[in-house]
Amino acid sequence: MNSLKIKLQILLAFMGIIVLVQFSTPLMAVEEKTQVAVVPAPVNLTDKDLTGITGPNKDDITAKGDPGAEMTGTVNDVTIADAKKGLTLADMANQIGQNKIAINFVWTLICGFLVMFMQAGFAMVETGLIRAKNANHTMMMNFMVYGLGLFAYWVCGFAIQMGGCGPIANLGGAYPLNAEKVVNLFGKPWGVFGTKGFFLSGSTYDVSVMVMFLFQMVFMDTTTTIVTGSCAERWKYSAFCVSTLGLGAIIYPLFGNWAWGCGWLSQLGVNFGLGHGYCDFAGSGVVHSVGGITALAAAMIIGPRIGKYNRDGSPNAIPGHDLTYVLLGCFILSFGWFGFNPGSTLGASGNGALRIGSVAVNTMLAGCTGGFAALFYMWLRYGKPDASMAGNGLLAGLVAITAPSGFVTPLASAVIGWVGGILVCLGVEYFDRVAKIDDPVGAMSVHGINGLWGVLAVGLFADGRSNYGGSWNGVSGNVTGLFYGDAGQLVAQLIGIATLLGVVFSISFVWNWVIDIVIGQRVNAKTELAGLDIPEMGAVAYPDFQLKASEYGVSESSYESATVKN
Amino acid sequence: MRIVGLLFALGGWLIAMSGLFMTTSNMGRGLFACVGIIVSIAGSLGFINKFYQAQAIWKK
Repeated sequence: MNSLKIKLQILLAFMGIIVLVQFSTPLMAVEEKTQVAVVPAPVNLTDKDLTGITGPNKDDITAKGDPGAEMTGTVNDVTIADAKKGLTLADMANQIGQNKIAINFVWTLICGFLVMFMQAGFAMVETGLIRAKNANHTMMMNFMVYGLGLFAYWVCGFAIQMGGCGPIANLGGAYPLNAEKVVNLFGKPWGVFGTKGFFLSGSTYDVSVMVMFLFQMVFMDTTTTIVTGSCAERWKYSAFCVSTLGLGAIIYPLFGNWAWGCGWLSQLGVNFGLGHGYCDFAGSGVVHSVGGITALAAAMIIGPRIGKYNRDGSPNAIPGHDLTYVLLGCFILSFGWFGFNPGSTLGASGNGALRIGSVAVNTMLAGCTGGFAALFYMWLRYGKPDASMAGNGLLAGLVAITAPSGFVTPLASAVIGWVGGILVCLGVEYFDRVAKIDDPVGAMSVHGINGLWGVLAVGLFADGRSNYGGSWNGVSGNVTGLFYGDAGQLVAQLIGIATLLGVVFSISFVWNWVIDIVIGQRVNAKTELAGLDIPEMGAVAYPDFQLKASEYGVSESSYESATVKN
Repeated sequence: MRIVGLLFALGGWLIAMSGLFMTTSNMGRGLFACVGIIVSIAGSLGFINKFYQAQAIWKK
């Protein structure tokens, strides 16, 4: 026991040193030398200066090809508006503008594709952490969450969330997204939801809007897939479908609007002088906390799996059936996170978008320290490095850095990730042993708790040096946290956390409660004990294998009494 | 019990929001927000969870 205490003290001391170094960073930065920028003298160009500029001869390229890329991508490729006038300055300026937006479109789309691939990671992590008899059911929840969420988001989710978010400079405007429902209360405007973009129809049939839709849609899908993990192994498939539709159509978009769609949370800075309003760079709160908190509400209603708890309330470990799935899934998620966070600049050119490298490095550092922290915590506490918790620690670090990734230093990222790794271990133990809410994959701890920690971390660690076009959420200057002098930013983040725990939880709970009354959330006990694959899906995931029945702590009496919502 | 829990969860948010109007100091608003967060957690993990724990299948 004493040696455990000593080990924990060493661990805490190490964390303390990291925090001290972090605090001292602004003091060390005072000595920086200032450099005088050399401004070149202006050059007065006219259209005449462009006459005579010719590209390579097309016949040469036709005859010889261009293996050295010396004749490809020249003035010949600049679009000319009027062939009679020839190349003009306006043509050049338009081409530059289009190039910038093209770069940003490609960047945002590719990042969106990476985030979409995270669905595969989630599917593998969740399926690996449950028993083989439920593998088809869990995989199919993760598979269909993509389509269900996409459909709901296309019908109305996107309009509610982003219908009033424009203009978006990095994506060429997205000007049609200009209708936000605003309620005036207590002398302040409160943006509540957007009203344009239903079915992507009308003026929202627009190239910028399409890019925005794809990127936002895959974020929403991440939220919906979090819930399937917490409710795995006992969730009725029909209830899952309805629950997911509501989350994708209403619950997620509402909070998304308040935070990202020019809603009231984002305007706390403008209306109440709280820093730059609620700031969530890539979605620790919007994506992960909303998912984690909805998972909490649903898991409470559904109840623990049969055999998870003994009659005295002590929990049983129910190991997953494939750790290789879990860790491979974690790797896929880590890879996808490079789309999640750096992609949230919505561009690689203009308005601070060159910080994509910084955001990417912050992301990988936090994942690294999160994985370390969880690994060491479990090693010290239980004597073995636990693989699934190491994976969850990695994800916890990534979740925690998602909101601050665009606003903090690499050192702060490492600290945020480390704390996230510890929090996920404590969270899993709390839900398992104290709250007795069964969460087969630890989603509430990974996404719920660490999402909230990430939101809070912005208010603490934002260093005030991340320049995204000179302002954020309509407030000039850069996002600055408490440790760098802006207590108001921390308050804005706390209001965001209160909204997640108060409003988002309540809506999610009521929605899932109604589903429980109308459809019933939980499968019957017989189905649960047999495994959900055959009764719910009609096929097992591994038909060629003989599955070993392992009923942890399940007696005949508990089988008979476990008849919730038969 | 569930309704009480819901009222606590939403009430916590209202407490946090009321701080925006009751005071202009960051410290005061932060305190209101923290109290609101605690009340919301009491509603969800306290009252609502307690209701479902009372009906838990492992207790039957």
